[in-house]
Amino acid sequence: MAGRRAAVKAIDWVAFAERVPPNQRAMFNSLKTRSDSVAAKLASLPEKPAPIDWTYYRSVVAKAGMVDEFEKKFADLTVPQPVDTQTAKIDAQEQEANKTAAAYLEASKAHIAEYEKGLEKFRNMIPFDQMTIEDLNNTFPETKLDKVKHPYWPHKPIADL
Amino acid sequence: MLSRLVLVSGHTLKNSGSFGACLVQASRSFHQSSQSLAPVPPLPEKGGKVRHGIFPEELFTLLYPKTGVTGPYMLGTGLLLYMLSKEIYVINHETFAAASIGAVVIYGIKKFGPSVAAFADKINEDKVAKAQEVKDQAMASLTQGIEDEKKEQWRVEGRHMLFDAKRNNVAMLLETNYRERLHMVTNEVKKRLDYQVELQNLHRRMEQEHMVNWVEQSVIKSITPLQEKESIAKCIADLKVLAKATQARATV
Repeated sequence: MAGRRAAVKAIDWVAFAERVPPNQRAMFNSLKTRSDSVAAKLASLPEKPAPIDWTYYRSVVAKAGMVDEFEKKFADLTVPQPVDTQTAKIDAQEQEANKTAAAYLEASKAHIAEYEKGLEKFRNMIPFDQMTIEDLNNTFPETKLDKVKHPYWPHKPIADL
Repeated sequence: MLSRLVLVSGHTLKNSGSFGACLVQASRSFHQSSQSLAPVPPLPEKGGKVRHGIFPEELFTLLYPKTGVTGPYMLGTGLLLYMLSKEIYVINHETFAAASIGAVVIYGIKKFGPSVAAFADKINEDKVAKAQEVKDQAMASLTQGIEDEKKEQWRVEGRHMLFDAKRNNVAMLLETNYRERLHMVTNEVKKRLDYQVELQNLHRRMEQEHMVNWVEQSVIKSITPLQEKESIAKCIADLKVLAKATQARATV
């Protein structure tokens, strides 16, 4: 009856809650309630059961040897530890999550690189009051007037003015 | 300015399709040469200075060393008198028309010039401001996007907490189960022992009760009818005495 296995790690629920994105809040809440109920159940059970008072029983029970027999068998009895089937699965899940997280981080970094590039373009731009129309068209290609599609001024549909 | 013309022609050459390899080559060399002049210097803020609206200042500075301040005015007066006296310019009806129109035009420009200029400048300013706003918004949204991405990365870093919580749950459940088993074993053994104890107690009680009953019954059997009559008479006598005593107490 000795040798507890996996020790319970202290979890900082406040820090955990900070990192949860808003769209996963419901899942987080349900996880927290479940964990709390499990912890409460664990706390309600005392660690060792109350020891049996063998001397009292020896004095009371008339049948000879019965108490001694019980005592011996009780001392010899070992309760088996329950088998842990889930930790391996959880570790596998964690590996999976690490992989997807790495992929997500890569994508995120690519996004950041794109945004940085856009920012660089804006920072290196010449100020607007020193631009000509050609410079404007070069920097923002969407401002270029299509003189082929609309050959007459104002080179864009009247509704767009 | 010529470089700008070159740039424009280069652009149009490139855009109007490929006439031949040499032309494309030429436009590319144009493009390359003009690129070396980048960045293009900004346009001047105001036009060249003029005096009296028409005569450029350079004329006055040109004549200043030789003829001083009044030089260009003398030149102008002399030219005018020369043209009038020699009838190179003939005064006729058109002269009066030109003078009237000129007066009205000058009056109009002097009065409304600045406001019209301000209006035109404002239109330009609005365009620039709008473009600037677009640029600022774009930059703000990009920086915000970067911030959000960094925040999401920070969030992802916390994923180990989820798995720690799960493992904790599993460990706690296992521990609970184990403790429950221990408790169950102890309770079962205790129940069995208590059963034995209770069984013994029950035996003893039953024996006691049986003995008491047996003694009672034997006593009752041993009471003879004579003894019964005697005990009943004694009881009645006692009751009479008690009644007399309570009566006496009641009257007092």
